Amino acid sequence: MIYTVVHRTEVEYDSPVTLARFNVRLRPAPWAGQVLLEHGLTVDPVPWTILDDVGPWVVNRSRLFIRNPLTRLVIVSRFRVEVSAPGFDLAMAVTPSVAQIRDLALAHRDLSPFGPAAYLYASPFVPPSPAITEWARPHLAPESSVLEAGTALMQAIFREFAYDGEATEADTLPGEAFLKKRGVCQDFAHVMLVAARAYGIPAAYVSGYLRTIPPPGKPRLVGADATHAWVALWCGEALGWIGFDPTNNAIARTDHIFTAMGRDYADVAPIDGVFHGGGGQKMEVSVDVAPEGEDATLPLLADPAAG
Amino acid sequence: MATEALAHPASARLQDYPVDVSAGDLFRHAPPDLAASWLTMADGLRALTDESGLPAQELVARQISDLGMSFRLTGDTEERPWQLTPMPLIIGAQEWAGLERGLIQRARLLEAVAADIYGPQQLIANGHLPAAVVTGSRFFARNMVGLEPGASGRGNHYIHVYAVDLARGPRGQWRVLGDRLRIANGIGYALENRLALARATGSLLTQVNTRRLAGFFSELRGGIARDCQRENPRIALLTPGRFNQSYPEQAHLARYLGFPLVEGRDLTVSDERLYVRTIAGPKRIDALWRWIDTLALDPLNFDSRSQIGVPDLFDAWARGGLEIANRPGVEVLEAPVFSAFLPRLFRTLLGEDPLLPNVATWWCGQPIEAAAVREGLDNLLVRTAFGQTAGGLASTEAVPGSSLSRAERETLFEALGRRPMDYCGQEIVQLSTTPALIGNGYEPRPFTLRAFVARGANGEWQVMPGGFARLSASGEIRTTLMGEGDLSADVCVVEAPGITPSQPTLLAVTPPVRRGGGILASQAADNLFWFGRYMERAEATVRVVRAVLGSAIEVDSAAGNNPEVLEKLVGLLVQWGALDPKAADNSVPKICRAALTEAVLPGGVASLFARLRSTGLSLRDRLASDFWRIASRPLPLIDGHRPGALLRIARELIERLSALSGLLGENFVHGPAWRFLDMGRRIERALALSAFTEVLAGEEGEPTEALGVLLDLADSQITYRSRYLTGPRRDPVLDMLLLDPDNPRALAFQLAKLVEHIEALPRLSEDLLPEAPLREARALLAPLMSLGVAEFGPERLDEARSGLLALSGAIAERYFLQYEKTETTTVRTLLA
Repeated sequence: MIYTVVHRTEVEYDSPVTLARFNVRLRPAPWAGQVLLEHGLTVDPVPWTILDDVGPWVVNRSRLFIRNPLTRLVIVSRFRVEVSAPGFDLAMAVTPSVAQIRDLALAHRDLSPFGPAAYLYASPFVPPSPAITEWARPHLAPESSVLEAGTALMQAIFREFAYDGEATEADTLPGEAFLKKRGVCQDFAHVMLVAARAYGIPAAYVSGYLRTIPPPGKPRLVGADATHAWVALWCGEALGWIGFDPTNNAIARTDHIFTAMGRDYADVAPIDGVFHGGGGQKMEVSVDVAPEGEDATLPLLADPAAG
Repeated sequence: MATEALAHPASARLQDYPVDVSAGDLFRHAPPDLAASWLTMADGLRALTDESGLPAQELVARQISDLGMSFRLTGDTEERPWQLTPMPLIIGAQEWAGLERGLIQRARLLEAVAADIYGPQQLIANGHLPAAVVTGSRFFARNMVGLEPGASGRGNHYIHVYAVDLARGPRGQWRVLGDRLRIANGIGYALENRLALARATGSLLTQVNTRRLAGFFSELRGGIARDCQRENPRIALLTPGRFNQSYPEQAHLARYLGFPLVEGRDLTVSDERLYVRTIAGPKRIDALWRWIDTLALDPLNFDSRSQIGVPDLFDAWARGGLEIANRPGVEVLEAPVFSAFLPRLFRTLLGEDPLLPNVATWWCGQPIEAAAVREGLDNLLVRTAFGQTAGGLASTEAVPGSSLSRAERETLFEALGRRPMDYCGQEIVQLSTTPALIGNGYEPRPFTLRAFVARGANGEWQVMPGGFARLSASGEIRTTLMGEGDLSADVCVVEAPGITPSQPTLLAVTPPVRRGGGILASQAADNLFWFGRYMERAEATVRVVRAVLGSAIEVDSAAGNNPEVLEKLVGLLVQWGALDPKAADNSVPKICRAALTEAVLPGGVASLFARLRSTGLSLRDRLASDFWRIASRPLPLIDGHRPGALLRIARELIERLSALSGLLGENFVHGPAWRFLDMGRRIERALALSAFTEVLAGEEGEPTEALGVLLDLADSQITYRSRYLTGPRRDPVLDMLLLDPDNPRALAFQLAKLVEHIEALPRLSEDLLPEAPLREARALLAPLMSLGVAEFGPERLDEARSGLLALSGAIAERYFLQYEKTETTTVRTLLA
C-alpha cells in the first residue's frame, strides 16, 4: 500500500517570539516493511537554519532556528511511503514467554535504539505505577507468550478505557489517565508501556499515522485525520518489534504508517522547542492520509476528534 | 610531650583514647611515627585551647563562620552552619601512595569504559557488559554515541574530575563504595575544611608535615584549560543556581579558582559557540565545569523540561566549540550496578588486576546472581541498581537484607521477580574508626572518605592529597555528603618526619600581571545593582523610622512635637510600602515597630533586609566574607514597643548599613561590579532625597522643624550648622541637599557619580557616541549644575524624579538581561 501523507501545523503567538528553536520529528525513520519514497518539509517563515539529523532514538529530526520575531509559524510535512505487510503470519508465530523475553532482553548485546535493552526501564513519561502493575497482572502471566500477553493487554485497554480528547493534556502522566480510564492514543500507549515494562517486557512508544476507512459508500474526508501513537513490543530475535494499537485493538500492519520510535512521547514528539517571549499560543494541526488510488473529498467541517 | 600532657589534665588527651576500639582504628593501629603525628596534633589542639580558653571546636567554628561556610540538607530552606571536627584524619604517605595508585588506575578504567560506551561499544558486543546495564541509567546520553569532537590536537577526555567514596576496613584495607562523575560534591568543602583548620590551628598542620592541597586545584584548572581550543581559555562554573544544596560550595570554588560562576540563563549559544552575556556584550566561554546533570544541560537535546539548561549547549560541544567537564553522559558509570562489572573490566580493558577493590556487588539482572542474592539476603545489603527508587525499597540507599520484615521481604521478592534488573546485592562493609574530638574527649567514630581525582595540566591523573571525611553519627554508610548529626573532618596526608612535603610546582609560576575582576555577567550586574538599591532603600526607611521615633522621646529633636511633620513622615512610610495604611493612626512606637518588622509589604525594613540577603546569595562568589557576614546577619529581635529600645535598633541597623558602605568603598575593587552596586545606591539615594524634599520642603512656608528633619534624613545636619549660623532656612537647605556638588548626600553629587560610573563602563560600539544610560544621566545632571536654587522649583524636582526612573530603566535595558522567559512548545498527539 502506498500513502501520501500531508501533516500541517500552524502556530499563532499572541505576541512576537524571538530566537525560536524547534525540533521537528516528522520525517519517517527507516522501519522494516516500510519504504519512504519522497519527503519534503516546508516552513513559513523560512528559518535562518534547518539542520537534519538522525536519532538519538529511531527518529529523524529537523532542527529549525528562526532568528527574527515571529507571530505565526506554519510547518508542512509531506511524504509518500510504501507500507507492506509483515513477512510472517502472526496466527502461526511462536514467541517466547513473558519470563523468557525478559531474560533475552537483559542478556542482549545491542545498545542501539533498535535493541530491546533501550526500552526496558522507566522513562520520563512512563514512570512506574503500582496501580497499573496490579491491574495488568492477570494479562501478563510469566508463562504466557509475549504475543498473547501483548494482545490481552491491548484488548484490556481497548475495552476498559474511553476515548476522550478533553480528559488529558499533552503532558498527562499515565497514572492519571489510568485513574480516569480516559484519554487519547498517547495516554493509552503510555499506560500499556507502564504495564509491559513492569513485567520486564521491552516496550516502545511509536508515533505515526493511521489510515482511516470512511463509512461504506462515503468518500474519505481530506485533512480529517490526525497523528497516531501505539506501542511496539519486542517479541524476540526472530520476530523483532511488533506494533500493538490499544486505541483500535489492532496489530499494526498496512494501515499503520511508522514515523518514529522512542521510550515515550517526549522522545518522538512531532514538534517541541524553546523561544523567548510570547504570551499564549494557539496551535492547529491537520493531517491527511491518502491511500493511492482512492477518491477523497474536502470536509465541510473538520472535527479534530473524529478521526 | 608526655610531661606537657600531664600538665593539662582538664583538656582532651589522645592518650586517654580507649584502647579496645574496633579493629583498624586510624590512630590506635597507626605505626609509631604516624602515631607521633597524631599526638603532636592532639597536643597542639590542647595547647590552643589552653592559650585561648576556648574549646578547639569553638576556634574552628569561628573560622568556619568567617569563611561563610554553610550547607543545606534536603528539605532545608535555610542554610546551616558547617560541622567540622578539629581533629583531622591523619594518613601516612606510604598508605596514601597505595591508595593513590588504586584511584588513578580506577580513573583510567572509568575513562576507558566511558570511551567504549560512547564509542565502539565493544564491551557490549563481546558480552563483557550487558546493554541493559547501560540503558538502566537515566543518564545514558544516546546522542553522545559516536561523537569525538575536536579529536585533532586537543585532549579528548570524558572525565576531568572524579570523586570516589572510600571505606577503610578493619584490617586497614581500602574499598571503593561508589564512583561520582556527575558532580564532585565535597571537593569545595574539602578545601574549605583545610582553610578553616589551617587558620584555626596556625602552624600545626605544617608541624606534622601535611601535604598541601593548592597544587591539586591548579592542576585541575590546567587540565581543563589544556582541552580547550584557545590558548587562554575562559572557563566558567555552571551552577543550577542559588537554591541548590551545594551552591555555597560552588560559589566558593568559583572564587577560589577564578572561574566566573554562571547560570544557564547567563549563557547563549550562537554559531555553535557558547557565550556569556556580559555588560560588555557576549563573551565566549571555552569550557564549563558543570555542576548540573546531563539531563538538565540542554532542553533541546536532553530533557525538554529543563529550566536551568542552555538551548543547543550540546551542539556547541558536539561541534568542538566548547569543552565540558565532565562530558555529558559520563554519569552513567555512577550507577551502583557498575561495581558488579568493573572488577573484571580491569583485565579486559587495561590488562591489569585491580589495585583497589570495590565493594562486592551482584546484579540481579543475571539469573545466577539473582538467585544468590535471594538466598543470601540475610548477609547482604540490597539496593537499587541504578540509583532510582525501585519497588520494595524505601529509599535509594542500601538496606541490610536482615533488617527487612517478612512483609517487606515478600514485597521485595515479588518486585524482584518481575523486574530483577532494578536491584543489586552488595557485601556489608565494616568501617574502621578515627578519633573525633567530642565535648572534652576523643571518641572513636566510623568514617568514610571522599577522595578526588582530576586530570592535571599535562593530562595525567592527579589525586588530591587529602579529601573529605565524613564521621558518621550512626555508623551507616550513605551516599549523601552529610547527614543529620554527622561531622566532617579534614584529611591530612603526612610525610614521615624529616621529609619536607614537596611544594606544588605550579605555585612557583608567576601568572601574567593583570587588573580588573574579569568579566561581569549581565545577570550578576543586575543583582549587584539591586543589591545596592535595597541597601540604600533600607537605610532611607530606617532613617525615616528614626526621625519618627525621635519625635516621641527627644525633647530637642528636629521634628519636635510638630504633628504636621510627623504626619508627613508617616505618610512617607505608607507611600513606600513600609507601613499598612490602616496602621497609620497608631501610636508612634507602634508605627515604628510595624515598619521595622514589616515582612510582607515590599517596603518594610524586614522585607528589604530579606531581599538584600536573597540577592546577596547569588553574589556569594563576589562578596568578601566580612561583607557577606554583616549583610546576612538576621535582624535584631524586636519584642515590645519601648521607644528607647526601638531607637537603639534603628541606630544599630544604620550602623550596620554604614559598615557595609565602608567595606564597599575600601575593600571592593573599584571595577564594573562595584560600579553597578554603587549605581544602585546612588539612584536609590537620589530618589529618596527627592521624596524627602518634596514632602518636607515642597512649598514655601513649611515649618522650620520640617527643614530640620530634612537635614537629619539627609545626614547633613552637621554640615549645615558649620556652614550657616542660623537655623534651617529653605534656600540654604535646598542648595545644600540638591545642588551642592561637594555634599556626598546631595542630589547633584549622586548624579555626578552616576555619570562617572557610566562613563567608565564598557561600550558596545566603537563610534564613541554616548549610549542611552549616559545620555539620561547627563541630562539629569545638567540642570543641577547650571541652575541656582531659586530656579530649581517643584516642577524641576518632579522632572528629576521621573528622569531617575528612566535612567534606571535605561541601565536595565542596556546592561541587564531582558526579562525574557524561555517557553516550550509541545504539540499534542491528537488522535486515536
